Amino acid sequence: MNRSSIRHKGRWAQTWIYLWKFLRMFIYQNDWKVLPMGAVIAAVVTFVVGTNLFVTQEGTLTGAFALVCVCIWNGFFNSIQVICRDRGIIKREHRAGLHISSYIAAQMIYQLLLCAAQTVVTLFICNVSQVRFPTEGIVTPWGIADVAITLLLITYASDMMALMVSCIVRSTTTAMTVMPFLLIFQLVFSGSFFALSGFAQKLTALTISRWGLDSLCAVGRYNEQPMVTLWNTLFKFKDVEVMGQKPILEIVQRAYGTEYMDEFLLWSGKYNQNEAYLSTLSNVLHNWGVLLIMMLVFAAAAVIALEFVDRDKR
Amino acid sequence: MDLLMAKLPNLLRLLVSWAFLSVGLWAVSGKLKWKKRWMAWVPGLRYAALGDSLEMDLEGIFCGMLDVPLFLAQLMNLPELNERAEMALALLILVLALLLFIYRIRLFLRLLTAFNARKLWLLPWFIADWLPLLILGASKKYQLREDFRPAEEESKPGTAPAQIPGTGGAAHTNARPESGLSIELRQRTVRDFARKRYLLKDISLDIPNGSLVLLLGGSGSGKTTFVNAVIGYEKADAEILLNGADVYRDYGQMKYRIGFVPQQNLIRGSDTVIRTVSDAAELRLPAKMSGRNRRARVAEVLDLLGLSAGKEGLVSKKSGGQLRRISIAMELVSDLELFVLDEPDSGLDGVIARELFTKLRTIADSGKIVIAITHTPDRVVDLFDKVIVLARDSGRVGRLAFYGSPDEAKRFFGKDSMEGIVMSVNRKEEGGEGLADTFIERYARLTAAEGEGAVS
Repeated sequence: MNRSSIRHKGRWAQTWIYLWKFLRMFIYQNDWKVLPMGAVIAAVVTFVVGTNLFVTQEGTLTGAFALVCVCIWNGFFNSIQVICRDRGIIKREHRAGLHISSYIAAQMIYQLLLCAAQTVVTLFICNVSQVRFPTEGIVTPWGIADVAITLLLITYASDMMALMVSCIVRSTTTAMTVMPFLLIFQLVFSGSFFALSGFAQKLTALTISRWGLDSLCAVGRYNEQPMVTLWNTLFKFKDVEVMGQKPILEIVQRAYGTEYMDEFLLWSGKYNQNEAYLSTLSNVLHNWGVLLIMMLVFAAAAVIALEFVDRDKR
Repeated sequence: MDLLMAKLPNLLRLLVSWAFLSVGLWAVSGKLKWKKRWMAWVPGLRYAALGDSLEMDLEGIFCGMLDVPLFLAQLMNLPELNERAEMALALLILVLALLLFIYRIRLFLRLLTAFNARKLWLLPWFIADWLPLLILGASKKYQLREDFRPAEEESKPGTAPAQIPGTGGAAHTNARPESGLSIELRQRTVRDFARKRYLLKDISLDIPNGSLVLLLGGSGSGKTTFVNAVIGYEKADAEILLNGADVYRDYGQMKYRIGFVPQQNLIRGSDTVIRTVSDAAELRLPAKMSGRNRRARVAEVLDLLGLSAGKEGLVSKKSGGQLRRISIAMELVSDLELFVLDEPDSGLDGVIARELFTKLRTIADSGKIVIAITHTPDRVVDLFDKVIVLARDSGRVGRLAFYGSPDEAKRFFGKDSMEGIVMSVNRKEEGGEGLADTFIERYARLTAAEGEGAVS
């Protein structure tokens, strides 16, 4: 047989070889530990912010931000070390015919499964913590399904970003040094939680947290929820005297516990609308689309960066 | 005029500082044997030249690139800018100055090493950088270490090495054999920015099929570079024929006929032995090979390397010797013709190492070419058919010092052990005899005189 015409396993077949390898290693390498770890983090967060999540505007914003942080944390930790840890091995296998695109594709599928499992765990914890999910969905008929898809996209986009970093850096030490900076950038430039303006506000377009938060608030129907800040502020001023009387206290006492109070809260919410959180199909799909584009860009950058593995010194 | 007067003290300070540093570098450049000593007076170029002579090209070039803008920034008036821009500019200058400072420290420490001077010289350098340079350059007490001395004539490091009389180290005739491995390596160079640096030159030899070949050489002699060039992983100006096929021209297919086992055990610990080797087989064996044949091949290789017993166990649970064998099995599982191993016995005791090389002997006996690098060759030298000795010449270029059988090598070098041979070509600073040039030249003359073939 003419040896020059011999064909070897192509990209598709190699992807499956490596996917099975990663799945085996999920068990042997104790990768499964990320699931209980994610559960603990989700439990802590929902314990603190879960009560008013998807109930009031303030609770939704705080809770959604916390959930976004959980997802980013999970995603980062899933893959920040996976490539740089095995860089020498990948270099050897690349030399023996491994396609980098196949390796990254296998990692992407494996990480998707891992992120999906983490999302299920997070939702389960939220459910146990009695988080009241929106009953009606915007994209799907079920509110919880929209939330699940959003959490998955945030986790997976973060995972892909960390995978890209893991392809660029050459050691686990560097990867773990870079990670906190990425995390802080994501948290600070989430757009809604910290007051930003000018160039800083524009930077938010580059963060997963911004699109994740917008998306989660939109599927959580933020704009339709009551706002409690104004009532609470009013309550603080209840003892203010005007011409020997306490008119604010009188209003608060009359309204408290009645339908007037509920109306007041909803009325305040109507004046606190945020366009980014519009619960419309187009808005949610737009946010999800940006997250999808981000993960594709990160994955492509990961492949390109890892193609240079042969240039590593021995 | 007023502006000039106002600037005068600063200009004078700059001029004095430039002159002192230039004088210091001028003094030291003589001992460093700079060909263009005027570079000592030119900001930017002076550091590039210093880095070049100290084999720290990259640091030198970075230093030079930072030196110029900072020198100009001191010389010229900065433009009127708004407060933010001025702050940004100041920050930029600060960062550049800090970087320059760090790179200059690196260069100066290297200079101290080159002159065998104590690190304490760094203290006066902080205060007046020109002073230690002037002392190092002028004092007879400080002489450049031998290994930092550039070779005479064309053999200056990084330039073309001197042509050794004869065939240039060729160990084979012009007629290339149809079978076996035929190496005709003219040169292997790298580019450091715009400069060409020679790593290997003039290595020609033919290895017949079924040979177990020992690759010897001190550290820095270019063993790994040579191996990478031979297997086509890092291409050189060379023609490498493996059983008549050009390794470089058809690397896409040839890489499946060549196995390389790296020095480290680059294997995933969290997978089983059998799956590790099976996955390697799937990657390396032809796609059309049936699953049954592939499994049979995996079983055959595991048997050959004595890995069948614990094949279901995790790789991470295996001993050092077993890990080396798994690493070998991953390559051997494909139908190789050339098999190269970088220190396969590293970290193994004598008995295990011998056992491993016996396996390699068996592999070679099956008609394959096996080339192994090892730093403890004497315990297994009787198993080898040939030995290649690489040595770094005075131009710091890796060259062929010998190719032949182990017994002939001992006679050629006048030594009774392989380690003795390595010591004879190693540099004196490494505890060797520093006879690399002598043997390279002698071997070149010998092969030229014999006209063809290896010494054998």
